[in-house]
Amino acid sequence: MIEVRDVTKRFGTTVALDAVSFSLQRGEILGFLGPNGAGKSTAMKIITTYLAPDEGQVAVEGIDVLEQPLAVRGRIGYQPENVPLYPDMSVHDYLTFVGRARGLTGARFQERLGWCVEACGLQTELKKPIQELSKGFRQRTGLAQALIHDPEILILDEPTSGLDPLQIIGIRELIKSLAGQKTIIFSTHVLQEVSPVTNRVVIINEGRIIADGMIDDLARRAMGSNRIFAGLRHDVDEVERSLRQLQGVKEAIRLPAGERGTARFELRAPFGTDLTGAVANLARERNWELCELHEAAFSLEDTFIALTREDRAVRQEVA
Amino acid sequence: MRNVATIFRREFSAYFNSPIAYIFIIVFLVLNCGLFMTPFFLQGQADMRDFFGNLPLFLIFFIPALSMRLWAEDKRTGTFELLMTLPIRSSEVMLGKYLAAMAFFLVALAGTLPIPIMINALGNPDGGAIFSGYLGAVLLGSLYMSVGIFASGLLRDQISAFILGMLACFILFMLGIPAVAATIDGWISGLGSFLQEFLGLVGHYQSLQRGVLALGDLAYFLTLTAVFLALNTLWLEGRKY
Repeated sequence: MIEVRDVTKRFGTTVALDAVSFSLQRGEILGFLGPNGAGKSTAMKIITTYLAPDEGQVAVEGIDVLEQPLAVRGRIGYQPENVPLYPDMSVHDYLTFVGRARGLTGARFQERLGWCVEACGLQTELKKPIQELSKGFRQRTGLAQALIHDPEILILDEPTSGLDPLQIIGIRELIKSLAGQKTIIFSTHVLQEVSPVTNRVVIINEGRIIADGMIDDLARRAMGSNRIFAGLRHDVDEVERSLRQLQGVKEAIRLPAGERGTARFELRAPFGTDLTGAVANLARERNWELCELHEAAFSLEDTFIALTREDRAVRQEVA
Repeated sequence: MRNVATIFRREFSAYFNSPIAYIFIIVFLVLNCGLFMTPFFLQGQADMRDFFGNLPLFLIFFIPALSMRLWAEDKRTGTFELLMTLPIRSSEVMLGKYLAAMAFFLVALAGTLPIPIMINALGNPDGGAIFSGYLGAVLLGSLYMSVGIFASGLLRDQISAFILGMLACFILFMLGIPAVAATIDGWISGLGSFLQEFLGLVGHYQSLQRGVLALGDLAYFLTLTAVFLALNTLWLEGRKY
């Protein structure tokens, strides 16, 4: 569906994208992650044919972006980071303009307009000039603009930036409701926004892709171990000694004591070891009271930080 | 063609969505008609020679004021990225914008039509000269407009686009003045008269103003307009790389 191969883009002496490759199947949702200035927007601009790559190829549904840009544009709905609105137009006139420019007319246009207005919650704002809209409604108008021609592919550059939590949930729900029907790439630098919507991510840093895959796999790869929190009511030193002797435990980190002097620990072990079972058995054998026992997944933040660090270390070695 | 019409409609209504349109039309008519009518009754001649004679200088200010926003505003609001990712050729977008600005200029120019009507009532003017005068005004406007839209494409800021457009139009105007051509000839022999012939607009415009419809003059305005519009499209295509 979307195929990005070895794309490099330079602006003067800065390298915005450095041999970036990734691909996307029909119906997939891809979270495009990275710090500000990592090259997310540049990559999206190249896919939407706004910019041309210096090197490498990009194909959308098998169509090369340099050879037939108009055919590619027709298949894509694009919301740039800087939402492209005409402040002097009303929402209705604006959507009519984009609809016409995208070749929609008559009943088909009315049907799509109705759908977009409904899906983006713009009913009350339809007649208002865009310059009077709040930030949230501007974002939604931008999204309606990207959806007006019912595109196969949606490219959304930071669709939730500047929105309040409720609005973010609204946009998230909208993207989720399109899952399966449309191929979607959305970028963000707020990591928590990704996991509710999709599992597939590409992480980009300083113009290079540092990770591409499912969030869970990436977490495993990045952290290399599982994390378990255990709390036992007994003498701290003795508990620590016993825990360290359990099979598979690589690390036992002492945590601040819990209520009524519970000895709490964070344990690390390779993936696949049944550490919770082992701790539960230990408590039963020794007759210690077990107050806390749970596995903690690594957050996307941890993964992201670990991957960026790893990438930096690799690069410094090379240099 | 339908794409050009879509862009045209948006751009033409954009002029009237802001007070600029009305201010522009009022100032244009007051200045042009006022400056023409003051000596008109003293001379007592039923023609519009002076009216058309003033235009090359007047339009140097008026046309860039219309063209400055054409690209610069889109770049500021971010709609430039929308226009360049719609399934429309950049030449079609450019043409839609250019024609919208020209249509607006024609509306303003149509506001001066009471003058020939009045002259017709007062005396016996040469209708052909007035017609070719208006044709000259439209051609002159279209040349300045193509220079202005090109300048607007190069820049992000409307005021800079206005000043650059004005400067470029002024240079085209100056190159056609014999005294300027003679001075340049003094520096590099032959260069001044060459530029006067091929780029300077005064000579070509004056023959239209006198009522002479020569193919060469029409070709001059149309060719130069097309050159600047083509340059504008080239820049739109080249920007990607």
